[in-house]
Amino acid sequence: MDTFIYSLRKFFQSIPLIFGVTLISFVLMVYFGPDKTYDLLGKNPTQQQIEEVHHQLGYDQPFLTRYFIFFKEIITFDFGYSDSTGEKVSSIFARTIPVSLAVQLPILISGNIISIILALIAAYFRGKMIDKSVMFVAVIGMSVSYLIIVILFQIIFCSSYGLNIFPVQGWEVESFTSYLKYVTVPVLASVFLSIGYNTRFYRAVIVEEITKDHVRTARAFGTHPLKLLFKNILKNSLIPIMTRIIITLPFIIIAGSIVLESYFSIPGIGLVLYDAILTGDLPIIKAAVTWTAMIYVLSLILTDIMYTVVDPRVTLK
Amino acid sequence: MNEVIQNSTNKQTHTYGESLWSKALRKLRKDTIGIVAFFVVLIYLGIAVGVCLGFFGSSWDRFVTDGYSGMSRQHIFGTNLNGQDIFERALYGTKTAFQIGFIVAIVATFLGGILGAVAGFFSGKIPDVLITWFYGVIDSIPFYLFVAALAVALADNPYAMHIAMISTFWTSTCRIIRGEVIKIKHLEYIEAARAIGVSYTKIIFKHIIPNTIHILLVQSTILFVTAIKSEVILSFLNLGVKEGVSWGLMLAEAAQEVPAGNFNNFIAASGFMLILVLAFNTFSDALQDALDPKKVS
Amino acid sequence: MNNQKLLEVQDLVIEFTTDKGKVRAVDGISFSLNNSETLGIVGESGCGKTVTALSLLKLIPSPPGKIIQGHILYQGKDIVSKSESAMRHFRGKEISMIFQEPMTSLNPVFTIGNQMIDVIRQHTHASKKEAKERAIKMLERIRIPNPERRIDEYPHQMSGGMRQRIMIAMALSCNPKILVADEPTTALDVTVQAQVMAQISELQKKFNTAVILVTHDLGVIAETCTNVLVMYCGKIVERADVSTLFESPRHPYTRGLLTSIPRIREKKLEKLPTIEGTVPDLLHLPVGCRYADRCERVRDHCRLEEPPLEKKDDKTEVACFYPY
Repeated sequence: MDTFIYSLRKFFQSIPLIFGVTLISFVLMVYFGPDKTYDLLGKNPTQQQIEEVHHQLGYDQPFLTRYFIFFKEIITFDFGYSDSTGEKVSSIFARTIPVSLAVQLPILISGNIISIILALIAAYFRGKMIDKSVMFVAVIGMSVSYLIIVILFQIIFCSSYGLNIFPVQGWEVESFTSYLKYVTVPVLASVFLSIGYNTRFYRAVIVEEITKDHVRTARAFGTHPLKLLFKNILKNSLIPIMTRIIITLPFIIIAGSIVLESYFSIPGIGLVLYDAILTGDLPIIKAAVTWTAMIYVLSLILTDIMYTVVDPRVTLK
Repeated sequence: MNEVIQNSTNKQTHTYGESLWSKALRKLRKDTIGIVAFFVVLIYLGIAVGVCLGFFGSSWDRFVTDGYSGMSRQHIFGTNLNGQDIFERALYGTKTAFQIGFIVAIVATFLGGILGAVAGFFSGKIPDVLITWFYGVIDSIPFYLFVAALAVALADNPYAMHIAMISTFWTSTCRIIRGEVIKIKHLEYIEAARAIGVSYTKIIFKHIIPNTIHILLVQSTILFVTAIKSEVILSFLNLGVKEGVSWGLMLAEAAQEVPAGNFNNFIAASGFMLILVLAFNTFSDALQDALDPKKVS
Repeated sequence: MNNQKLLEVQDLVIEFTTDKGKVRAVDGISFSLNNSETLGIVGESGCGKTVTALSLLKLIPSPPGKIIQGHILYQGKDIVSKSESAMRHFRGKEISMIFQEPMTSLNPVFTIGNQMIDVIRQHTHASKKEAKERAIKMLERIRIPNPERRIDEYPHQMSGGMRQRIMIAMALSCNPKILVADEPTTALDVTVQAQVMAQISELQKKFNTAVILVTHDLGVIAETCTNVLVMYCGKIVERADVSTLFESPRHPYTRGLLTSIPRIREKKLEKLPTIEGTVPDLLHLPVGCRYADRCERVRDHCRLEEPPLEKKDDKTEVACFYPY
């Protein structure tokens, strides 16, 4: 119950944020968005026809009214139909998001586990050779472009110039084996990249924790280094780590999916967005922008609640 | 009276800055890898300047062969599908990268620095609430979709990409500077300046921002790299560079050529880019280490 | 064999690598500790007393710190050469340590019970339940009210004094032979300080533990210690039993430290005497006596040669050519 009231209060606090996001999306994509009148009427419409269409599309309404109409679209998730395929936006999302999750979840989980372990190792041996090697790999990981990695991994694993053990692209998933066949290379590429940024960040967090007094205390009482790392230090570092994971989640999934899915022809939300960006399919972009922003705001609330679970010093006030 | 205080506060800023910078310089000099990275960046800068002055890279758009050709003495990296010299294009791409990097890094850092200083100085008051709200909003929108939305609104403006990067990248700097300013605004000399009635603008620009320069410097190096990397993805999404050629456009081309076994475009563009970004990141790290007063080892 | 010391430190040198060069934080010190003795190590901050304390458990952060010379013999066996995994069974079981900051020395995200049980189970084969019972018993012993309930509380729910007492309970929960206390009361309120010190003394008697008390507070030393080492710039400058040291300090530095304590019952002083000057930079130590620049009895000889720590009478050892 406390948690519920707490979340509710956090939700009300985030209303200005939701208002801001929807306002910006509205101004960019609706108010200054493309005028569809001529698409509908052809080349030489009469003045009357123009006015009629303007009225139908709501162009003659004042700013605020149009904003409220837009807002209603968001709340009801009714963004109309895709300009290019004519499919209902909500059904496109419902169809493609599960595919993206099937690709992104393994990336998220394995990428973070590997990064956390590498970061713990690097932090524990900080200043030593192991630390320097891990950090060097991490810098390469964060210096190389996503696109380069994706192309490179495809050459290495999927082409006759490399190992040629996985399909070049596509998504004909019928069983778990076929899922593995199509998902492995995209996941490997993304995990490699995410390790770069994550390990550096996590290492910094863990190093900060490792130098704290309570770690010295635990050492002074003979705690085993593994226990020290995985119990005493990890739980303390969990807040910044979890915060980062949750907050970057919506963006990583969107941005990651666009490149990955378009390059490997995986029919997820990323591919839909890629096509939408190339063709200027506004209803889809509108839906994606506003809903990612909403999910982002919700994940901010989620992190606040999570603090109270992980850290006994934070209470539901 | 006013004069006297001003002088003394200036002196304080100066000595604070001096010790920080001379210490940083001493640490930087010892950082061999950082120095090597810095010289690599300088070489790239030299290439970019050379392209601007027309020494090389000027024939990036000339069709010199019919279709692909492999590596040769004439064309170090061969030519692309259209028969354009890949090496020339990669050189020209260096100029494009620096152009994007500089414009975005400088403007975004500037914007973030000023807004952050204002927000921090007035923390808790209306300007702060507005600025934090604003960057909260910007941070809530996924970057690539924001660029797409902006591209729609700006209707094929060649600088849509720059504008999009600037309008999203300033937030990280703003956040950091705001935090820093909240810390330093309680220092005696700033409180003294306030007590004596020095105008807010003067305090912010003369006493607060100069004391955050080291953070702004590091931030701008980070944004420079982020801008170059974002350009690649945006060009791949057709939202990027509209005039000239860039590494991103080359990689977008390469994505079509690689399945056919033509790797030259890919190797040239990714090689050029990787080395620059790696060097810049390494230099940025060295700079951060050198400027971090807390950092011991 | 009978007169074997519990702990013997011989000619210990500890060096730190800084970006300006190498610094000897501890420079050739020797001392020993008997069973159930209380040894005080006193000196200004930066004199090497904390580094000495940490070195007894090989807890010096490395890099940058390193023991480059000397031996630390515990019951006759050298621990300097011990491996890290051997040290793990040693720390908390043979020698325990408590630290200055009770506010940060406990892990904030685990209950104190959880942390105490970890320590007990690290060194015994006790089950979780047995360990918890033992932890509660320790809390009872330090007179924490409602130990069954408080054991499930987090450090932030307790006061600084209570946390430091819990640290002491934790440190003694596996019956170590030596307790090293590094400025255990410095961060606490004056009223709580006495309480914590009394706790240490009481438990020390009960468990027959030897204590090494590192502090800059001579008052604490006077109340609890049997023997005292005075350190200055990484060296021991005077060693004596506590009454001798307070009654007739021989080294000018010790004398300076003692006169700079305000005394209520003595007749009014014009001004509280202080020691002039500052501690020399460890990077640029003088050739001769390290205290020479601040010393009121300094003569030319002092600046040329370093005085060794020598027996001046049967009660005191002093590193000074011209002691009081």
